[in-house]
Amino acid sequence: MLTCKQFDEFMIDYLEGGLPVWQKYMCWLHIKMCRECAYFVQEYRKVVALGKNAFDSPDGAVPDSVPEELVKAAMAFRKTR
Amino acid sequence: MTLVQETSNESALSDVPDVMCNVPTVDAEEQLVHSLGIGEDSGFETLVRSYGPQVMAIARRYLRSEADAADCFQDTFIAIFEGINSFQRKSSFRSWVSGITINQCLMALRKRQRRREESIEHMLPMFNERGSRIDVASPRQKSEFGEALDAEQLRRIVREHIERLPDKYRLVLLLRDIDGYSTRETASILGIEVNAVKTRLHRARSALKYMLEPVLEQKFCHVDV
Repeated sequence: MLTCKQFDEFMIDYLEGGLPVWQKYMCWLHIKMCRECAYFVQEYRKVVALGKNAFDSPDGAVPDSVPEELVKAAMAFRKTR
Repeated sequence: MTLVQETSNESALSDVPDVMCNVPTVDAEEQLVHSLGIGEDSGFETLVRSYGPQVMAIARRYLRSEADAADCFQDTFIAIFEGINSFQRKSSFRSWVSGITINQCLMALRKRQRRREESIEHMLPMFNERGSRIDVASPRQKSEFGEALDAEQLRRIVREHIERLPDKYRLVLLLRDIDGYSTRETASILGIEVNAVKTRLHRARSALKYMLEPVLEQKFCHVDV
């Protein structure tokens, strides 16, 4: 059976489906046997989901427009090139 | 890696999720590309107005500074205008613009004086001599985040913690988890090995998990996984 450290090294590939069948099985087995790693994976997945959603908001998402002075500055800058 | 080399490498920038929306239709996009190709001023203005919000959102995210984002905004549009002939239509125009914006941000970060960065070593998983996981509890308390968080507060906290990560980890996290580039594309954009991307991503996520532990423990913090 894998140690927790070995499992940790495989974790990214395991979660993203990038492992050969045998290694995938070993990781799966480790999670079934190890409560700490099972919990770690559960919380890790939550963090990935939180990160993906972090910029879907009025503050983090695409603004409706940019300040007019910024548009004008870019246009003026281009004329100098 | 130079801008032209990076942006003309469309294989690294293709098939990325649409991080840009509310941009011209395909026909209008074709007209815009043509107009830029022949150097029309009106084309440049359309470009800036149509893609400006998306370019600004990316620049803010990567550079964390409004002033730096504004500088990058100008540089990005000049780079698009001057590099338009290297757009080979292997990816959508908006993906191409997105890639150029990110490249400009990376160049700005390389030029910028390095800020003091917090080490994340103590936030990473630890193991004993037999390779078993040692539980490292975050010293942070739930009370730091108040009693109840709404969705927007939660997103703000996550953004703030992503910003605390050292750049080498933060950039990989942004490219992979936020902007949706593949591991190989991220490696190509940053000029590092695929395995280095995986290691940095795992460390970034692990450190973020450590920092967010008090939030994750809150029963009202519901996350769809």
